[in-house]
Amino acid sequence: MKKNIYYFILILVTITTVSSCKKDTETPASTEETLSFHLHRNVGTADGIYDSLYQTASGRKFNITDYRFYISNIVLIKGDGSLYPLTGKVILAGPSAMEYELQKVPVGNYKGFTFMMGLDSITNHSDPTTFGAGSPLAVQTPSIHWDWNSGYIFFKVEGKVDTTAAANGSADFDYLYHIGMDDLKRTIDFSTNAFSVVSGSPHELHIEFDLLEALSNVDMRTENMTHTMDNFPLATKIADNWQAAWSAE
Amino acid sequence: MKKTLLYIFLISLTVYACKKDDDVPAIDPDAQVFTLQVPRGFPYPSVPADNRPTNYRVRLGKQLFNDPILSRDSTISCASCHKENMKFTDGLPFSEGIAGRHAARNSPSILNIAYQPYLFWDGGNPTVEQQVLGPIGNPNEMDFDANLVVERLKRNPDYVFKFMQAYGKEPSVYTLTRAIANYERTLFTGTSKYDRYMYDHDSTALNASEKNGMTLFFNEIGDCFHCHVDYNFTDYSFQNNGLYVNYPDSGRARITLKASDVGKFKVPTLRNVELTAPYMHDGSMATLEQVIDHYASGGQAHPNKSNVVRPRPLTAQDKTDLVNFLKALTDL
Ligand code: HEC
Ligand code: HEC
Repeated sequence: MKKNIYYFILILVTITTVSSCKKDTETPASTEETLSFHLHRNVGTADGIYDSLYQTASGRKFNITDYRFYISNIVLIKGDGSLYPLTGKVILAGPSAMEYELQKVPVGNYKGFTFMMGLDSITNHSDPTTFGAGSPLAVQTPSIHWDWNSGYIFFKVEGKVDTTAAANGSADFDYLYHIGMDDLKRTIDFSTNAFSVVSGSPHELHIEFDLLEALSNVDMRTENMTHTMDNFPLATKIADNWQAAWSAE
Repeated sequence: MKKTLLYIFLISLTVYACKKDDDVPAIDPDAQVFTLQVPRGFPYPSVPADNRPTNYRVRLGKQLFNDPILSRDSTISCASCHKENMKFTDGLPFSEGIAGRHAARNSPSILNIAYQPYLFWDGGNPTVEQQVLGPIGNPNEMDFDANLVVERLKRNPDYVFKFMQAYGKEPSVYTLTRAIANYERTLFTGTSKYDRYMYDHDSTALNASEKNGMTLFFNEIGDCFHCHVDYNFTDYSFQNNGLYVNYPDSGRARITLKASDVGKFKVPTLRNVELTAPYMHDGSMATLEQVIDHYASGGQAHPNKSNVVRPRPLTAQDKTDLVNFLKALTDL
């Protein structure tokens, strides 16, 4: 009898140890399905490709050498109107990918979704050196974090632009839009873009961002530089255009 | 009995599989966490739990601090602008970085950095660890990229070995910034004549002129102690001390964007100030005499100027005494 108790304890210890090791992300597959963003970073209707030449609405030539932004705080709106936040998910949209896997979500009908362009203030002021190399919040090459006003750059676009008055020269003048700081995060509303997630087929939400729209009221000839703090009005103007720059594909 | 052994074997296997792989054997004295040697009279600084000092870490950090491998063209190290023999400053109004470019501000000493609640003249950086990224990425300083520094370090077997010793991990942005910060937190200053007088209670450590300077420093006539206070001679606040009517460098306002912060800079320590000329965030004053004349005059009119900075009735002797007191803050 004594011996039995002894074994019982051993078994108990084994079970506890093994279960404490278990990852807590395992969930039954049948009721959930993978959701992803299929995301285009466009310039007008074309894909934003580094070193291609583009034109503003007024015909001014420019190219892009960096075109990245952060998306976070994604919230799905379920059929019954309740919210389903994808807590902790952060995307750095950049040239290397169009597919951004979000996570498994319950199958069913959704009324739409919202997300934040930029980062909430806690994430924004976290220490980038503590994230592993694969994380969107790790130190990137080229950097997308300010070390002198500690925080992430939410939206980083750089390149060269033609600054001749008649817009008949070549794109050879550096322009730079670095938008960040807590005040300039913006919630992007896709709350009426209904979709359904069905079991057995991963679902993609097709969305696109248009840089021309984001710069629609920006004169790239004269308004060609902001690190946010040194030209806050220009940074605010661009951030205020983000919602209009988004559309569902 | 056999069954018991099997169970024990199974459990150990499971436990082993659960173990994190960053545990390092704790027998080597150089891998042991040690207590920082804090100058007497100073509190023990707060040290991040993931970066307590060990000899391996400090030695690695010191090597990195002095290694130009951190800059794009391998010409500039941290020590280029923070020279140990100049109390970790560089003697220039604006530090010289890569390819003859110049930093936007005067290089502050990094002694007693463990006590700084935020870094830079405008307080824009929150920790000694994160600060390391600043000069590496700054185009006027090292003009490089922390990930590329890490690639270089990984190709260097000596460094890989030392990172493993220090952190049980390969070179990474995390371990690179930890190691340099670990070294920096061992750099203290607090062995001046003033400390002899103050903390060792040696009343002969200061002469009459220095004592009068000290009195003026700490009373309402000189009024320096409103900002330059305590063991590190700063309260770490942001203040406008009336250098300019128009500040070319907006200081704290660069971080907060508030008009009321224009021209405010973090109050600097005054330890070793005799050896760290030129002075102010822009190195605009060459001598301590100039600094004292500035405070005696009350400085330039600026809406954000502290009202403690105002014209002061200091005699020529008072001024000399104040300068002598500042010189008594130099490490012996
Ligand atoms: C080109 C010169 C230069 C180089 C190289 C340089 N620094 Fe500095 N350092 C400065 C200047 C200038 C400042 C002040 C910057 C500011 O306040 O905006 C500074 C500030 C600091 C501070 C903050 C001090 C305080 O009291 O706020 C620390 C810490 C520091 N440097 C450490 C380092 C380390 C570590 C390295 C190497 C990774 C390094 N520095 C490389 C010039 C340099
Ligand atoms: C209102 C707060 C305040 C008072 C009072 C004050 N200081 Fe300062 N002090 C500062 C600030 C802020 C700076 C840096 C200003 C800058 O760089 O723009 C500074 C800079 C200095 C420096 C240059 C240090 C360096 O490393 O560049 C010296 C020396 C100095 N003060 C001495 C004094 C003395 C002596 C007195 C009294 C006569 C005094 N201060 C009173 C705030 C103050």
